[in-house]
Amino acid sequence: MTESTTDKTGAPTARDDREARLPDTMSGWRLTARAFMENRLAVTGLGIIVFFVLFCFAGPHLYTTDQVTVDPVSSLLAPGGAHPLGTDPQGFDVLGRIMRGGQASLQIGLFAALIATGIGTLYGTVAGLAGGVVDGFMMRVVDTLLSIPFLFIVLIVATRFSSTVLSLSLILGAFSWLAPARLVRAEVLSLRSRGFVAAATVMGATKARIIARHLIPNALGVVIVNITFQVADAIIAVALLGFLGFGLNYPDVEWGTQLSQGVSYLLGGSWWLIYPVGGCLVLVVMAFNFVGDALRDSIDVRLRRR
Amino acid sequence: MVQYVLRRLGTSVVVILGVSLITFLLLHGMSGSPGRAILGVQASAEAVAAFDREHGYDRSLVIQYFDYLGGLLHGDLGHSYKLNQSVNALLAENAGRTAMLSAVALILAICAAVPLGVFQAVKRNSIGDNVLTALTFVAYSMPVFLLAMLLIQVFAMGLGVLPAQAAQSSSDFVIFTEPRAMLLPVLTLSGITVAMYSRYQRSAALDQLAQDYIRVARAKGLSMRMVLTRHLLRNACIPLVTLIGMSIPLLLTGNLVVESVFNYPGLGLLFFNSLNNQDYPVLLGYTLVAATLTVLGNLVADVLVAATDPRTRRA
Amino acid sequence: MKPDAHPTADDGPVLTIEGLSTGIRLRKADVAAVSGVDLHLRRGETLGLVGESGCGKSMTGLSVMGLLPPGGGITAGSIKLAGRELVGLPDKHYQRIRGNEIAMIFQDPMTSLNPTKTIGEQVAEPVRLHRGASPKQARDRALDMLALVGIARPAERLGQYPHELSGGLRQRVMIAMALSCEPKVLIADEPTTALDVTVQAQVLRLLHDLKDRLGMAMLLITHDMGVIAQWADRVSVMYAGGIVESARTGELFTGMRHPYAQALLACTPRLTQRRDRTLFSIPGSPPDLAHPPAGCRFAARCAHATDRCRSEAPPLTEDRPGHTLACWNPVDGPLGPVAAEAQTAPETPAEPAEPVLAIDDLAKEYATGRSLLRGAKRSVKAVSGVSFSVEPGRTFGLVGESGCGKSTLARMIVALEKPSSGGVTALGGELGELRGRGLRRHRRNLQMMFQDPFDALDPRMRIGAILREPFAAQGIGTAAEQLAAVRDLLDEVGLPHTVLERYPHEFSGGQRQRIALARALALNPRVIVADEPVSALDVSIRSQVLNLMRRLQAKHGLTYVVISHDLTVVRYLADTVGVMYLGKLVEIGSPDDIYLRAAHPYTAGLIAAIPEPDPDAEPPGDRDGMDTEMPSPFDPPSGCRFRTRCPRAQARCAEEEPVLRDFDPGHSAACHFPLREPQPAAAQVG
Repeated sequence: MTESTTDKTGAPTARDDREARLPDTMSGWRLTARAFMENRLAVTGLGIIVFFVLFCFAGPHLYTTDQVTVDPVSSLLAPGGAHPLGTDPQGFDVLGRIMRGGQASLQIGLFAALIATGIGTLYGTVAGLAGGVVDGFMMRVVDTLLSIPFLFIVLIVATRFSSTVLSLSLILGAFSWLAPARLVRAEVLSLRSRGFVAAATVMGATKARIIARHLIPNALGVVIVNITFQVADAIIAVALLGFLGFGLNYPDVEWGTQLSQGVSYLLGGSWWLIYPVGGCLVLVVMAFNFVGDALRDSIDVRLRRR
Repeated sequence: MVQYVLRRLGTSVVVILGVSLITFLLLHGMSGSPGRAILGVQASAEAVAAFDREHGYDRSLVIQYFDYLGGLLHGDLGHSYKLNQSVNALLAENAGRTAMLSAVALILAICAAVPLGVFQAVKRNSIGDNVLTALTFVAYSMPVFLLAMLLIQVFAMGLGVLPAQAAQSSSDFVIFTEPRAMLLPVLTLSGITVAMYSRYQRSAALDQLAQDYIRVARAKGLSMRMVLTRHLLRNACIPLVTLIGMSIPLLLTGNLVVESVFNYPGLGLLFFNSLNNQDYPVLLGYTLVAATLTVLGNLVADVLVAATDPRTRRA
Repeated sequence: MKPDAHPTADDGPVLTIEGLSTGIRLRKADVAAVSGVDLHLRRGETLGLVGESGCGKSMTGLSVMGLLPPGGGITAGSIKLAGRELVGLPDKHYQRIRGNEIAMIFQDPMTSLNPTKTIGEQVAEPVRLHRGASPKQARDRALDMLALVGIARPAERLGQYPHELSGGLRQRVMIAMALSCEPKVLIADEPTTALDVTVQAQVLRLLHDLKDRLGMAMLLITHDMGVIAQWADRVSVMYAGGIVESARTGELFTGMRHPYAQALLACTPRLTQRRDRTLFSIPGSPPDLAHPPAGCRFAARCAHATDRCRSEAPPLTEDRPGHTLACWNPVDGPLGPVAAEAQTAPETPAEPAEPVLAIDDLAKEYATGRSLLRGAKRSVKAVSGVSFSVEPGRTFGLVGESGCGKSTLARMIVALEKPSSGGVTALGGELGELRGRGLRRHRRNLQMMFQDPFDALDPRMRIGAILREPFAAQGIGTAAEQLAAVRDLLDEVGLPHTVLERYPHEFSGGQRQRIALARALALNPRVIVADEPVSALDVSIRSQVLNLMRRLQAKHGLTYVVISHDLTVVRYLADTVGVMYLGKLVEIGSPDDIYLRAAHPYTAGLIAAIPEPDPDAEPPGDRDGMDTEMPSPFDPPSGCRFRTRCPRAQARCAEEEPVLRDFDPGHSAACHFPLREPQPAAAQVG
């Protein structure tokens, strides 16, 4: 490389050598956090997520409803009075039902994302570090699995299991680790060629040390960003499963099952079975996508500042 | 170039073989003994075992896999004992309608996404860009069926201008003969895809806009519009081709949901019904076909990219 | 001698810039990239605009083109092209001027061409646009232009794509494109910075000739005082967004008045730099233009600054006719060499010592894909049969153009890559025979400094952890001992202890390179391999780092292997110099052998291509130079690899590979027809 003379911003980041008038120090993570907090969408997204976690998990303690006993008398009541969002065909209070369904959707989304990112990170790291034939084989396996439509295989497998929060998380997690595996492998490969890794090698650092001190901390950003997107995808996937009839079984419920039930009554004008829960679903998924986008950008910001 | 295509073809074959291994194992793991499936739950264990022996289902998995593979090579995807029809026939019966629906939706999505994405990139952070970004975000964060339900609510229930069900004709070209009845399914399917493509197109166009050659083109005296049409568009579309190839599984998934919601007789609805029947030969047969389509889509996309990009054309 | 420009007295300036200020709105702050710049350009004249990175010189050029980046805008001033005001001109009118009356060439030819359009289409585009030419006419014009910029077989090139052309050819295409409508003004923004030195000379000469032939005015933007001295008629020196001094080139180099201009020239490396003296350097680094200081912007780094300089900004005034200046306390002419403090050069040891590092017939080949049909493996021969040794406390300098294999060689010396054949012996240990723990232990003796200071430090680690890492990796000392050692290291490289808690992104390039040097020193190595240690740094920072390297060498008796494309850097640091071409060592000798008595035509061409920061020196490119570029290392030419570019090549060069022959004691070169007669006695294989 020759001398870099582009003055794209005209803003030299340089500071005086001799004088120690440097501003307050900031770690990469704090820089990331600051850039993140400056992003209004991201803060909104984070707020939405916090709200829904409280709403679904703390809400039922403040707003107690019977979500177990079928009550045909109060079936399909319109919103108002004792039921701010009406009742469903079984006579369950819809607001309470959304809280309960949200618990399951959020739990499955998070568990599935963690499982997928866990497997993917491990797989991608091993492939990226091993290189050569091992890497080639491992990536062909990923290509193969990736060519099968995700929902197809999940649905086929789901026909054989009774749906619980755990089984759905495991099934979704088990088939969605491919994207993080590719991502992490690419990250590991690019990190391996970085100067600071070469510098560590030259100073005699062991492979284990390089992995622990350089590769993992630097790849972490990509992994964390991936988790947020993965949660969003998993929530959508579990909603699809629920909608197609492979959701949780009574008395448990998640948002997808709720929606599929609502469809049958949509023609009868029972809009409250659809819109509130649909809105919640879209809001939560959007919030995770916002947060993921903003996190990716703020991690980039740190890198751009170099 | 020829070498590249050959090598890519080689990996595609390997991947399809891998897929066939997975579908074979699932077929075995999921459905258990075919004898039991055919003879029913009342049949005695001896009768089932005798059936399996007679039809070679008691041999080792490896041999059975090669049997299966041999069938596949002859275009035999298996037999649906539930419907007592060959999987081939079932798929063939429905493929045309699904292909039409998906193709029309895909073409529509591409035609909308490319200009949208480029417009957003050029007018970055303008009101128009922000509104479109918000819309794509909503669409992107919405399960397909929810979009379908919203469209039904608005156009079928609210305005009453479009039917809530898809056309039920068995013609492959129903989409052209009864366009009104097919509008909602097509819109749903392309709506979801547009959201993904245009987001991607926007970032691809932004990447290209930051390149030096764009500034050079401006320095030659080209107007922004000329820069877009003559220089940016082609380069910004190359990555989209790859994405389209990779998004076939998503398109087929969307197709599955749309066909179930709108009750459109295609492969998706067949899959949905087979799920409820636990008709594994059909399910896995379609899965194998879908995976093969995906692999082919990727192959075509990669070759197209290689052929349009002069940097790889000669390599 | 540089051909005369012909500015006739009655010609008014083609381009006049007055009080131009350009700001860039970033998310956090408004940056005053350009403040109050005055420039004027006459027909047939070259105005050099010189300054370090971030000084606003490119922004000035882009302001004239009306192509500022997003967020950028002209805040004040006027730009007049032949009397016509350009500031505030609607884009529709501006488009008819760009590429037609004003054209611009950018720094990086590799990214400046559209990768998916043919050369012909791209060169023809401005003619089609501005002249309304038919496709046929435009094609003919493109053909003429390619021929005009000295591209051989232009008809063939028309149908090619940018990736099929080398960097030098692409820059020629850029020039053809810019000049196709015969603009009145050409803005050349660092036109040769991304090119190798031999190509740089060709391109600058071409630009100069074309300017004369077409009667253009040229604004030559560069950081290189050497380029300015050779090619500019007048110079404007820019610092932190403003012009500090403008004068005719000769006058500026001999009688500059601004302390920054004086300092900039003083730290520009020269081949004649005395090795026993410290390089001149400017302390500190330029100010942050988001918060520019009050008063003179150079005051913080100026040796002549007074309180007035720190509080009141000096205006740009005419000091004498044609010579403007913005300074309260002007100096008079360039710094004499005496101003720099003398430095004790490392003494030549009386008797030759045992070499601390020996490279023996080292080679590296990379396999690059296999042909499916032919089954033959293609390979890049990055390094082929290089041998040399370095004695303790000495510096071996390795020069060559990009792609000659010098970085691969560096990585093999520190065992980052395994040689395909041959070996590296360091302190008596053959690196290829060491494994695992033994190799890691041995690495203590052999450290490396990397080229890119942004890439060499882990962004997630504090400086304290970065500097402690060598000890931790080698299991040396307790935490307290390590910390004490780290503090000593910081003292050595002149950084305050407060940096320990900070992160790499908080430091400038020069500071980071100091940190990297401190880290390389931590294990008390005997040998440090420095791969382009200063090429990413600005010239005023560069000499700070070079001085530091010299001081530390003297203090610790270090042995250096310095690898650089910059012959002046190697000249300053090295005791022995090796010249590499396409993976081969073509000449090796003492600096005087190489720089004064070169035997290999490649070495001579390389040296001739360096622009001297002296307007009276002969401009490079007049001598029998190399008109072409380095061929691909995929299929190096048979016999002598340099023969395709060599003015002396004959049939024998294609058939027989030359071996190293001795010319002086310790000076050998591999050439069949050298520039000097070899010593008759020895015709040894090196």
